[in-house]
Amino acid sequence: MKILVCIKQVPDMESKFKLNPEGLWYSDANLAWRMNEYDEYAVEQAVQLKEQLGDAEICVLAIGPDRVKEMMKKALAMGADRGVHIKDEEPWRMDCFGIASLIAAYARDKDFGLVFTGMQSQDRGSAQVGTLVGEMLELPVLSTLVEFSFEGGRVSGKRELEGGVRARVSAQSPAVVTCQLGLNTPRYPTLPNIMKAKKKEIQTLVSSELGVQPGRVEMVRVAFPEKRKGGMLIQGDISQMTSQLMTVLKDKFSII
Amino acid sequence: MKALLVAEYRENQVRECTYELLSFAERLGAAPVMFIVGDADALPAFEGPLYLAEASTCGEFSPSVHKALLLEVIAREQPDYVVFSHSSYGWDLAPRVALATGAGQISEILDLHEEGFVVPLCNSKLRSTLKASGPLSVLTLQSGAFAAAEPQGSPQVMALDVPAGTDPLRFEGLEEAEKSEVDLSKAEIIVSAGRGIGKKDNIEMIANLAKAMGGEFGASRPVVDAGWAEHSRQVGSTGQSVAPKLYVACGISGAVQHLMGMKKSDFVIAINSDAEAPIAEVADVMVVADLKEFVPALLSCLQG
Amino acid sequence: MEATREIYWNVGPAVLLPMYLLTAAAMALAGFWFWKRVRVYRQGQSLDRSADLKQRVLSALNMAIMQMRVRRGGGAGGAHALFFWSFLVLLVGTLLILVQADLTDPLFGVRFLEGPFYLIFSLLLDLGGLVALLMLIALMVRRYLIRPEGLVSRRDDLAVHGLLFSILVTGFFIEALRMAATELPLNRELAIWSPVGMAMAIPLQSLAEPQLRSLHQVFWWIHMLLVMGFIAIIPLTRLRHILTTSLNYVFVDRGPKGALRTLDLEDESAEHFGAEKIADLSWKDIFDTDACTQCKRCQDQCPAHATEKPLSPMKLINDLGQVAFDDPEAALCERVGTDALWSCTTCRACQEVCPASIEHVGKIVEMRRNLVLMQGEFPGEEVTAAAENLEVNGNPLGLSFSARADWAKDLDLVVAGQGGEFDILYFVGCYASFDKRNIKVARSFVELCKAAGVRVGILGEAEKCCGEPMRKMGNEYLYQMMAAENIEAMQASGATKVVTSCPHCFNSLAKDYRDLGFELEVQHYSEYLAELLEQGRLKLQPQAFDCTYHDSCYLGRYNDIYQAPRELLAAAGGRIEEMERHGSESFCCGAGGGRILAEEKLGSRISEHRARMAAQTQAPTLVSNCPFCLTMFEDGVKGAQLEESLVPRDLAEILAERIDRP
Repeated sequence: MKILVCIKQVPDMESKFKLNPEGLWYSDANLAWRMNEYDEYAVEQAVQLKEQLGDAEICVLAIGPDRVKEMMKKALAMGADRGVHIKDEEPWRMDCFGIASLIAAYARDKDFGLVFTGMQSQDRGSAQVGTLVGEMLELPVLSTLVEFSFEGGRVSGKRELEGGVRARVSAQSPAVVTCQLGLNTPRYPTLPNIMKAKKKEIQTLVSSELGVQPGRVEMVRVAFPEKRKGGMLIQGDISQMTSQLMTVLKDKFSII
Repeated sequence: MKALLVAEYRENQVRECTYELLSFAERLGAAPVMFIVGDADALPAFEGPLYLAEASTCGEFSPSVHKALLLEVIAREQPDYVVFSHSSYGWDLAPRVALATGAGQISEILDLHEEGFVVPLCNSKLRSTLKASGPLSVLTLQSGAFAAAEPQGSPQVMALDVPAGTDPLRFEGLEEAEKSEVDLSKAEIIVSAGRGIGKKDNIEMIANLAKAMGGEFGASRPVVDAGWAEHSRQVGSTGQSVAPKLYVACGISGAVQHLMGMKKSDFVIAINSDAEAPIAEVADVMVVADLKEFVPALLSCLQG
Repeated sequence: MEATREIYWNVGPAVLLPMYLLTAAAMALAGFWFWKRVRVYRQGQSLDRSADLKQRVLSALNMAIMQMRVRRGGGAGGAHALFFWSFLVLLVGTLLILVQADLTDPLFGVRFLEGPFYLIFSLLLDLGGLVALLMLIALMVRRYLIRPEGLVSRRDDLAVHGLLFSILVTGFFIEALRMAATELPLNRELAIWSPVGMAMAIPLQSLAEPQLRSLHQVFWWIHMLLVMGFIAIIPLTRLRHILTTSLNYVFVDRGPKGALRTLDLEDESAEHFGAEKIADLSWKDIFDTDACTQCKRCQDQCPAHATEKPLSPMKLINDLGQVAFDDPEAALCERVGTDALWSCTTCRACQEVCPASIEHVGKIVEMRRNLVLMQGEFPGEEVTAAAENLEVNGNPLGLSFSARADWAKDLDLVVAGQGGEFDILYFVGCYASFDKRNIKVARSFVELCKAAGVRVGILGEAEKCCGEPMRKMGNEYLYQMMAAENIEAMQASGATKVVTSCPHCFNSLAKDYRDLGFELEVQHYSEYLAELLEQGRLKLQPQAFDCTYHDSCYLGRYNDIYQAPRELLAAAGGRIEEMERHGSESFCCGAGGGRILAEEKLGSRISEHRARMAAQTQAPTLVSNCPFCLTMFEDGVKGAQLEESLVPRDLAEILAERIDRP
């Protein structure tokens, strides 16, 4: 079986973000980059599936400038077999529809038995791309899985709902799976695999050649949220303090 | 303007987040039309048109079927907005509808203003303002971002037929959450105890406070190490990383490991005798008080 | 009458041939059995421990004969040394007899066991036997009756003790029987020089001479056979340590202290890392297991063992030995136990105390390397997360690399590469850069430098974790990644001297980085400030205070820096109330070996143990000079409920409060 894993490189969320000159996105400068956490679960699940099936090939796909290859190497070190880098210097200009269209354009005729991806990215957090890819490829989408199994060509899993409830779902492959945190424990690549990954093939395609679709969402601007530092200080008399805090709790959280 | 609100139904009940859609529609200034795959005996309480498909025949969770139903309603109503909660149901269904209608989708909306909808970026470190390019917008709302409207009135129900075709996705039932395990990472309100609580007996006080606020109680590493709380309650880079809407830190000075684990909290209230404790830097509200006096006082206020 | 005795009295020269044949057979057997063991050692990887062989041999002889390392172990160590020395006297005495009787006398007619020399010889051997016997009895009482906790006895131990005991006792009987028949009746003055023999001979005088003679022959043969047995079974029993432990002194690691093998990660053909099977360790690692005498001193020193964790350095060495000899294909980490491996804080207390100079820490790290590099395993998810944080942000805490210099924003320090001159490059380390508590220490150090007129430079955002915790966790790859970036940044900074406030950084930069081509001078701030003080550049206004000082493992045992911090404390007016475990016997805070990154899930908390030890001194302040120690003690005093009476502080904070400003 051929397996596709779509991964995204995101800034480390601890980074000190600055806005880019257009004020539409964060600036690329001085950031530490890593693999989107949700996508690590996707890679791990694909590798586990390959270990289960024996005969499978895992292709990881990422969209972005050359730096995303660093992250792809990690996926290759975790056990993916080859990479497809869709080169685009400013992928943030594309909306989820645009990104999904690129992935679908690549994947359409490749006969992937399963497509794994994170249920959302840590930077944009839209939770759209995986489902869009599935819809575009007309495949069933099992989203937000926290449990996964594959038996006789059928994908079964558990979706995580609110309040800790889980929904059991299944579908015949080919299918798309989006991964929620906790689906598995992403492995730490072993050193021999890190070495091997350096030699694995990463094919580079150019986004414009695959056909960039016009977006359906416009970015108006990006800004910092109003600062919460230097918060309110409550001190003094106990009863006064409790009533002050109660007001906060009522206003903000409708507690009581 | 018209907003088609996608209500949620699970296990014989309308989910609370449905009412947030109503107040959002009001903020939007759009006439609400509601859609639900639910049960005629458990309808959302509001005044307005409601399209109802029976969950018993259409499935509680069946994306293709629900999408087909929604597309029919959209064709009939021609709304400007289709609004979902940003929930496991909403974020699954919304992109399917957006793609089928050619709409732009904006996820996890926190706020709105004239130029567009505000969504978080990068773990809420940034805010992005977005708007759909076309005439139809598909939106999902961050739960809690818009106060729930008061459930009142009764809708004018229009029944929908079961669409043709079967869903390639099979829904096989629900599993209740395991009760014994605490999953702080999903808790919306966490009240945590640090070494500042002094002794083991005071854990109960913190647990009571958490209960009164409708949240879970957590603990810092020293408290867990001391055996005062079980490990699954530990908040910090070596325990659970949490992202609640409200985090109340009681007697936690704010060791770096702890701060790492709770930094994603939306709102932080710190109760500490030391106003200079590092936790103050991340606290939205810093209460400088003796826990043993303050917490019981707060508890009695909460319990009315 | 002449002061000498007839050699081979009563047994005659006829015993010569059988005696030498038997000896040859016993030695051949011993040799054969040793050779079989050598084959087991040779399973290991090659390792050169022959440089300065003459020096090695001389110091090994010195250590073995003087019982240098053995003697440090209290009463039992002293008893062992006395037993050893007296046994040595008996051995040398016996050899002298052989030399005279079978070599110099028959060939050259030279006899030296005569006259006053014989008297002293006789007395020494007689007393030697007595001391050996008494010490043996004392050691047996300790082992079998008192049974100190943790002392492991095997079946063959009893055989060895019985054999030694019988050899000594039969030896005395031979002497006494001979004396009863010869010296006592004929030359009583000579008999006085063998007091023990004489005391035993007097009651034997009641026997007739023929009886004495036949008894003597019987005992002579028993004694002889026992000694042959003794020689033969040396390789099979604990007795082999006579050879293996002494040889281990020859093959000792001659430093730098605590240095680990630096893996060659450029080697593209390498597909295997760390120790998975016994053959992945070096021959010396296997030899170590044979040099172990199970004296359990390592176990008594081990902080993990003291806090009920499943690690005993002794057991670990013995487990490895068992694998090497009985089951060489076994999976090492599994046999030793991963929990045991992860429990080690690499504090080196075991190695420091080991009378056999066994190297424990390197083996543990090699096995950890296998777990991490080959199996991607860590002691917990928190450590995996720390590794990922290091990859992304260059610090284990997961904080933004670009915030690394925020602590110094208002201090007006020179950031290397951004213009400006500096005298020392301060390698800050992760905790002093990011952890609120330790930022105070970094700021104190800078304040002290400024007061001494020293211009301080830092690497700023270019500084990464030194890599030490990850290296000790077994992640050599990540360590070398961090090290390469730091080395490049430091060497490009134009610095001539680097000062660290963290002993772990210090050990990495000053020692480990040397293998990777780093050459700058490195000091820990304790020594650097002590120098500034001595030069009169740093002036302190002493204010009296009581404290106790915790020797961190990486400053103390790893780098032998014990005095400088104490001198600084004294200059600040500190009176040090030493803990029982201080100096080279200091008890780890629990954070070494990368444990700072890990949850302490097993047993009780090491930091609390140490805090209680500090509290026993009654001193109100616990001074350390390591960010890991300070972090652990801040938790430890709380956990041990000592917050009221004991305050953990860093040396730099105390000094900064006492800067003498004109």
